Amino acid sequence: MIRIDGLRFSYGEGDFRLWIPELAVEAGTTTAFIGPSGSGKTTLLNLIAGIIRPETGRVETRNVEVSGMSDEERRRFRITTVGLVFQEFELLEYLTVLDNILLPYRIHSALTLDSAVRERAGSLAERVGISDKLGRHPRRLSQGERQRVAVCRAVLTDPPLLLTDEPTGNLDPVNRERVLDILFDYVKESGTTLVSVTHDHEILPRFGRVVDFREFHSFGEAGVASGNRAEDRANGGAS
Amino acid sequence: MLSRTKFTGVALVCAIAACGGPAPDSDVEAGADTSTPDAAAALLVYTTNYPLAYFAGRIGGDRVQVEFPTPPGIDPAYWTPSAGEVEAYQQADVVLLNGAGYEGWVAKTSLAESKLVNTSAGFQDLYIVAEEAVLHTHGPEGEHEHENVAFTTWLDPQLAIEHARAIRDVFAERLPGAEPDLQSAFAVLERDLGEIDARLEAWAEAAAGQPLLASHPVYQYLARRYDLNLRSVHFEPDEVPVTGGWRDLAALMQGHAADWMLWEAAPLEEVRDRLASDYGVGSVVFDPCGNRPDSGDYLATMRANVEALEGLPAS
Amino acid sequence: MRDTLYLAWRYLAFHRVKTGILVAAITLIVFLPVGLRVIVDQSSRQLTARAEATPLAIGAKGSPTELTLNTLYFSSDVPARTTYAAASEVTATRLASAIPMYVRFRVRGQPIVGTTLEYFGFRGLRIAEGRQIAVLGDAVLGSRAAERLGVGTGGHVISSPESVFDIAGVYPLRMPVVGVLEFSDSADDDAVFVDVKTAWVIEGLGHGHQDLSQPEASSGVLRREGNVVVGNASVMQYNEITPDNIDSFHFHGDLSDFPLTAVIAVPPDQRSSALLQGRYQSAELRQVVSPSEVMDELLDTILTVEKFVIAGAVTVGLATLATAFLVFALSLRLRRRERETLFKIGGSRSAVATVMTSEIVGVLAVGVLLALLLTFLTQRYGDVIIRTLIR
Repeated sequence: MIRIDGLRFSYGEGDFRLWIPELAVEAGTTTAFIGPSGSGKTTLLNLIAGIIRPETGRVETRNVEVSGMSDEERRRFRITTVGLVFQEFELLEYLTVLDNILLPYRIHSALTLDSAVRERAGSLAERVGISDKLGRHPRRLSQGERQRVAVCRAVLTDPPLLLTDEPTGNLDPVNRERVLDILFDYVKESGTTLVSVTHDHEILPRFGRVVDFREFHSFGEAGVASGNRAEDRANGGAS
Repeated sequence: MLSRTKFTGVALVCAIAACGGPAPDSDVEAGADTSTPDAAAALLVYTTNYPLAYFAGRIGGDRVQVEFPTPPGIDPAYWTPSAGEVEAYQQADVVLLNGAGYEGWVAKTSLAESKLVNTSAGFQDLYIVAEEAVLHTHGPEGEHEHENVAFTTWLDPQLAIEHARAIRDVFAERLPGAEPDLQSAFAVLERDLGEIDARLEAWAEAAAGQPLLASHPVYQYLARRYDLNLRSVHFEPDEVPVTGGWRDLAALMQGHAADWMLWEAAPLEEVRDRLASDYGVGSVVFDPCGNRPDSGDYLATMRANVEALEGLPAS
Repeated sequence: MRDTLYLAWRYLAFHRVKTGILVAAITLIVFLPVGLRVIVDQSSRQLTARAEATPLAIGAKGSPTELTLNTLYFSSDVPARTTYAAASEVTATRLASAIPMYVRFRVRGQPIVGTTLEYFGFRGLRIAEGRQIAVLGDAVLGSRAAERLGVGTGGHVISSPESVFDIAGVYPLRMPVVGVLEFSDSADDDAVFVDVKTAWVIEGLGHGHQDLSQPEASSGVLRREGNVVVGNASVMQYNEITPDNIDSFHFHGDLSDFPLTAVIAVPPDQRSSALLQGRYQSAELRQVVSPSEVMDELLDTILTVEKFVIAGAVTVGLATLATAFLVFALSLRLRRRERETLFKIGGSRSAVATVMTSEIVGVLAVGVLLALLLTFLTQRYGDVIIRTLIR
């Protein structure tokens, strides 16, 4: 599903450098990215989704070389292929729950909002337990409910790849489990590839693979991370 | 959702289109009311007494339609028209007035100034102020008088001709191109009235200042024209005079031994008889003809008046 | 496009108050100068039309503006009086026809216009119900006067006393309403029309009473001196002219000396007009004014004031517009995160731009639309608005 070769990325100012010589994620798997803050986990997520582009190297997602595409092409790619879930939910406060779920279908011509889509949205909402709140605005939802709405929005397009950035970071333990259950049940059912950035080591056992970013990141200019060590870790990771 | 966009677009277009709004206020018609009829339609002429109606008809002929609405038997000088009758006058193209205060009602009605023609305006300096003017005053305002001008001006045939002349001039103004016809018609009328004048003059000369009585002070212009020795009482043809009236007559006849009394219309038999028996005064009718006569026309009536006078035996 | 507009609409609807205030501000900014222009334009056209339709007005020497306003609009500022002789003078010149005007008295708020029949033809006024004035005392009402006074054909109106303390002065006259005019969209609609002679009766210059020379009136006689009869104060002065007493109505004095507020002169052509005006150049007692010239001067003043007002409105408008754009800019800043989210989940450039700028575009569009609507309404009903305001 995802192949990364010789990736280098920096933000221009500051010390941050990301150097990934090689990384592959198989389709249908669940992978967790862990590592200290600032190690580039979110950055890599953004590179995979095509939100940003590397300085050098290739990012190939679902056989599409995302790193080589134009901005418009990447947007199109994203909205049709990738589902995104954010730590801060990022719902539009002025839209109802239903309209938030349907949002992707309204912001790109590649997607057409029809009755089939609405039906799917309805059943997703029911599945996550918010179908009685479709008319509400986000400010009247609890944290857990908001994240569930965000998940519905992310999977409404039936994307092959689901990228989540600290999806349970703002949730209490009960809601954390609930949202994770929803996510994992969904990916198991649909064969969607799941990549999650997380700080929470308690949830790692759910994932098929864990990638530790301490392998990729080098602090300061001295020293280059050993690509071999990272690959060993990857190969030797729990299934 | 689609409808919302479309609605907004349509509304915007409508608003812009509608701003080419309706034209501003309509024009105000302006124009003084000086109507001249078309050459084909007759001039609608209203008069305030019969003599003027007669003159107008004689002079204007087919070119005019003359109306004189005062009902027969009523003295037009004391007639008050109803609102409907006033409205009829308002329709006229020309309203011929006698002048000299004859038609008192005109001052209390609304008629277009431009249509009113005072046919005696040309000889205002010849008006006669009646002797029996009643003055009255109101306390705080001081003295006012109602000037009583005698208004039976046409009884002087020369003044009648002047009335007719004024009518001819008005018609000539309002009927352009008709002057020759109007003039010739006027000339014929002038001759007829002149004939009356001549006969009366002859009779007056023959009568040579004999004292005469008038039942009512309406013959001032006649008296002045022919230098008649005429005095008036206040008798009405259809009434029996009150005792005071007979007394006034007796007083009047002191130093004025008249044999004949002129009446506007035939007096009551008993009055005529009493006059004759008690006062030795005969009655002769000289109809001023202010209103339409029962039979005949103005000229016929005047001729009859003259004949009546001519028929009086010399004193 | 439809979908992004839906999102835009949702944003505006969610922020109702902010949107409402911004729309109102835009509407006012656009409409105020435009609306003002429309109203001033309409009212000046109306005023000019009536003034142009009135060739010349002759009155006593004094303020031309007062004379014009009283003659054209029956204002309650009554100019110095001239006399009926002025009308006869005009007629005598044969240069114009004369329409006497005596506009002094009122029936409650409505002006009583004493004039002659020619006035109605001159102004193109037509009878809607009833008939025209015929007999002394008759009154014909303009359509709005009839409404305001709540009276129609067959009813009566009573002239109002000029002052509460006026005992021996102008006395109220009860007049029968014989007709109502068609709506003419002018000052004539508010008037109570009577014959100028009726106006003189209201003034007290004409009256009717018992004939003091008759025996029945002896109680009203103070003394007799020869054939002069002096009446005492108990002589009843009628305050209504009826068919029964009209015969006794009369005027004391010479009608030429009776008062008028103006004489409208209608010359048939420019030459006659010029000649007529020339005659009054050195007149001592009278002045002749051209109402259209007077109105033009008046309007110049109004237009100058209007310019200042518009300049003020535009200045305030620009300031408000700047503030509105500040609000928009701040809004955009606040929505940065929203924009990022839309970008991140893959929204197209155009869709994101549309959603973001929806606020400005929407507010401006609705504001301008409302301003256009208000302008249209002002154009349509402007004259009604003006008249209501002037009341």
